[in-house]
Parts: sequence; C-alpha cells; structure tokens
Amino acid sequence: MMSYVPILSVDVLGSVCMVIFAFLSLGKAKSLRDLDPDNAVFLYMLWVCMGLTCFAVSRSFGHILRQFLILTANPDIWHAISPYTGTINTVSFMLVGSITLFFNQSWHINEKILSSREKLEETHVQLMELNQTLEHKVVERTEMLTSSEHKARRIFEHSLDTIMVTDPRFRVAEINQAGLGLTGYSKAQMIDEKMELREFMAPGVEWDRIRLQLESNEFILNEEVDFIRSDKTRVRVLITGGVDYGAFGCGKSFHFIIKDINEKKEMERQIAQADKMAALGELSAGVAHEINNPLGIILGYTQLMLKQPSEFDEDLRIIEKHVKNCKNVVSDLLSFSRKGSLEMTRVDVNQVLDDVLKFLSNHTDFRNVEVETGGISPGVLMISGNEQELTQVFINLIINACHAVKKQGRIEVETHRRDDGQVAIAIKDNGSGIEEDHFSRIFDPFFTTKPVGEGTGLGLSVGYGIIRRHGGDITARNRKEQGAAFTITLPDVQGEPADQGEAI
Amino acid sequence: MGHIFFLMSMVVLIFTISNRNLSHERGWRLIQYAALFFILWNLDALAAHFLDNQIAVISIRNVSMWQMVLESESDSSLLRFVYYFLKMDHLLCVPAMALLFRGLCLLHRQKKEELEARGVKS
Repeated sequence: MMSYVPILSVDVLGSVCMVIFAFLSLGKAKSLRDLDPDNAVFLYMLWVCMGLTCFAVSRSFGHILRQFLILTANPDIWHAISPYTGTINTVSFMLVGSITLFFNQSWHINEKILSSREKLEETHVQLMELNQTLEHKVVERTEMLTSSEHKARRIFEHSLDTIMVTDPRFRVAEINQAGLGLTGYSKAQMIDEKMELREFMAPGVEWDRIRLQLESNEFILNEEVDFIRSDKTRVRVLITGGVDYGAFGCGKSFHFIIKDINEKKEMERQIAQADKMAALGELSAGVAHEINNPLGIILGYTQLMLKQPSEFDEDLRIIEKHVKNCKNVVSDLLSFSRKGSLEMTRVDVNQVLDDVLKFLSNHTDFRNVEVETGGISPGVLMISGNEQELTQVFINLIINACHAVKKQGRIEVETHRRDDGQVAIAIKDNGSGIEEDHFSRIFDPFFTTKPVGEGTGLGLSVGYGIIRRHGGDITARNRKEQGAAFTITLPDVQGEPADQGEAI
Repeated sequence: MGHIFFLMSMVVLIFTISNRNLSHERGWRLIQYAALFFILWNLDALAAHFLDNQIAVISIRNVSMWQMVLESESDSSLLRFVYYFLKMDHLLCVPAMALLFRGLCLLHRQKKEELEARGVKS
C-alpha cells in the first residue's frame, strides 16, 4: 500500500502548469515573431510552441481526466478512451518533434534571408548614394547647361555683329538684334516672308558662287559683299558662315556671322585718299616750283619786249596772256600743295558766306537758281583762317553746285556748330549727284567732268588744299533725295582769345 | 515510437544549437536545457510505458482516493519504487516548458534591445 497523493498532485498540478507555461511560451513566441516578422527562426519557434501547446493541452486534459475517472471509480471508461488520448498525445509531440527537426533548415533559411536583407540594405544604400550622386550631377550639369545656354544666348543677343541662322534653303530662321539693325527689316517680316539670304545681297554679288562654296566646302570665310538694306542703301559686309548638321533631332542649318565693315572701308578709303592727295600735293609742288621760274623769266622777257613797240607786239601779248594763264594754274597748284605762307585771322564763316552769296547773286548764272540760306546758323561762327582763301573755296563750291543744277535748280547753304568743337559748312544741290566711280577722284588736280576747255579741274583740289591747310576737312556725298552735298569742317575758335594774326 | 522520435528531435535541436554556436546566448542555452529536460521526460515516459504497457511487469491499483497498491510480478520493491517516481514525469516536463518560456523571454528581450539599438520602433 502506497500513498497516491504525490502522484495525483504532481499529475494534476503538473498538467495545469504545463498548460500555463505552454500558453505563456506561445504568447512570448508570438510577440517575438511580431518583433521581427521576417525572421524564419522566430516563425519556427512559434510553430514549436503551437505544437507544444497542443501537446500540453491534450496531455494535461488526458491526465486530469484519467485521475478523475480513476478516483470516481470509473477505470473502465478510462481504459476505453485512453488509446485515443494517447494517440492524440503521440501525434502532438510527433508534430513538435517534426517541427523541431526543421530548426536547422529554418536557421539556414533565416541566415539566407538576413544575408539577402543585408545585401539588399547595402544595395539600397549604394543605390541611394548613386541616386544622390546622380541627382547632384544632374543638378550640376543642368546648371552648367543653363549657364552655357545663357552665355550663348547673351552672345547671340548682344553681339555687335549680325548672327543669322538659316534653314537649308538659306531662309532666315533666327537673327539677332544687330542683324535687325543691319538689314533694317523686322524679325517677323523676315521669318513670315521667308526671306532668303540672297535677297539681302546687292545685285552683282556672286551669290551662286558663295552658295556653291557653302554646299561643297560647308563654309565660307570673310566673303566681302554688299548688302541692300530695307531703305535701299548699301552696306559693305564681311560674311563668314558654316553648316550645322544639328543635334538632338535638329535639322541641318547654316550659321552666318555678318560683320558691318562700312565704316572701316570708308576710313580706309579716306586714308587712301589722304595719302593720294598728299602725294599729289608733293608732286604738284615740285612741278609748280620747276615751272614757275621759267614762266617768270618768259613773262619778264615778254613784258620787257612789249615796252619797245615792234611788229611782234600782238604775238607777244598772246604769249603774255598764256604765260599768265600758266602762272595762274601754277599758283593754283601751289595753293593745292599747301606751299607758301598766308595770314591767318579770326574769321566769321557766316559773314564770309554772306559776302560770297551777295557777290554771286549778281552773277548771270544764278538768275534761275534758288539759293536757300535758311540753314545758316544765326550768330557768329568764328574760325581761324584766311578770309580770301575761304572765300575762294566757297565760291568754287557754290559755282560747282550751280553747274550741277545746270543753272536752274536749288542750292542750300547750311552752317552749324557741332558738339565736337568743329564748325560745319554744307553746300547742297539738287542736281544729278556724283557718280560712284568719281568719288575717289573728285579732289584730284585736273580731274573734271566738264567738257574740255570749260574747267581746269583745279577748283576742288585747290579747295581741298586750302581746307586741309586750315586744319579742316572737306567731304562729298550724294544726298538721299537728289543731288550732292559738300561738307567742310573747320576748328571752332569761338571761345579762344583773338590773336593778332599768325602765318602758316 | 512517438517518444523516440520526439527524443531524437530534441537531441538534434541540442546539437544544432551547439553547432550554430548559439549556446553562448542565454536564451538559446535555456532552450537547449529545455530540450534536455524533454529528453529526460521522454526517457521517463518511455520507461514507464515500457514497464506498465509493453512488458506489463507492474500496474497500479487504487484502493482509495489517497491510497494505491503497486502490483509487481517480481515483487521487486526497487521496481515499484522506480516506477513510483517514473509516474511523476511532470517533474521533468514542467521544468522543460518553464525553461522554454524563460528562454523565449530572454530572446524577446535581446531582440527588442537589438532593434532599439538600431533605432527601429518595436
């Protein structure tokens, strides 16, 4: 006979504790898995705990039921159901055993997951860094591109030379502000009317040659051509161009840089003219000096012989007359070449012009000529010069103008003080103007467009010499409306103290 | 057979934990101990079932609610004594479950601290 109490109490209390610990373990395993849902080991532990809980519940229930049936004197019932509870117990701990056997695999899977996660995180970090680097680079490149585009745009917009872009058929597609100024057309007009580069070129420009060169060589370099502006005036330009086959889907186009060289050409022409005039002056001075002395001797002897009457008096007078003519020509040549000295005083240009116009108004050639003096500046325009020589220059110019209008037209005389300290005198006519080819020669000695015998061709060259000797300049141009205009500029001495006179 | 299978699986678990070098973590070490107790419980249960069911050399007969008689064919008091203690197998499986629970608690705490150290909100 033995006490059944220890077995009974351990069985019942142990069963209860088993169930309690099983559920506590299940709860802890679940919360452990909740901490890291991707952890395969924790999932495994949850399954183990679930299996153990089933086992604990089944076994504890079986044990408690067994004790109850035995103690209530129903061992037969227990014997009847014990195989079933035993089977359930066996199945449940076999389940636990089976799950446990997968621990190694679970751990292995978990390691792989962790390793993959680490790699994924590393890759993610690398991707983030790459993305950041890429973003920085994109921002940097975008800034560079924007800056570059801005610079290019500024160069295009603010270039003092014309920049023109045309399509493959040389129709204007883009043109900068300088181009609008050069051509005189508006951008909309050029684009809307599909104006071609050829249309800006003056007649006679070898457009076909230029186009051929562009198409064969794909560039032209410093081609000098005349452009016709919208107001029909000509402008000399230098064209450099090339082809652009485009990028990023842009089509082929031609780019041109067109440089206005009008002023440069004019300056070069003036320098060449001044050099030529200086050379002519030297030559004239030499010739005049060499001729002047023999002429003086011939005139002297002729006049000496005329003092004694003879049968050759008439011939001698003819000789005297022509020698005097020759001396006048020589004198004019000397005036042109700026040789000799003259007295310089303060002269009022307006007063000199007034005297000249009064003198010429009595001339028969001016009867049908309208002389407009409304452009003469009121007041005094004081310059330093020789009044007689200036009078000679003004007379020459006004008589030339009279001849240009064929003695029945309109002559305008204007004077004004300029801001650059010069006094400007303009004599304009509405005649036929000056031919383009003559501009470079009109101040040459002996150059004349008048019939032989009607002019010596020294008037303008003498006038040129006088004005240059006065420190001034004389220029000629054709007027836009009709006729020619001669402009003399002389240094203004209005504000300077009066001298007694100086010889130059 | 079920007990043997369960026992073997626990042996495998103990060795796997050792091989994985997890036993230096207290949580896993306690789970290892739990597995050891489950092995002992299995051995206990195997022995008890062997004695009373398989070879039927001993059986319990209740004489009252608090008294019982252990009937042994060989009338061995040692056998009766051993069987008496083998019947109190909860003394092995309850500590096993308790150690398992404690091990899980430690693993949970360790994981929580680890996540907090990484700045992950649990």
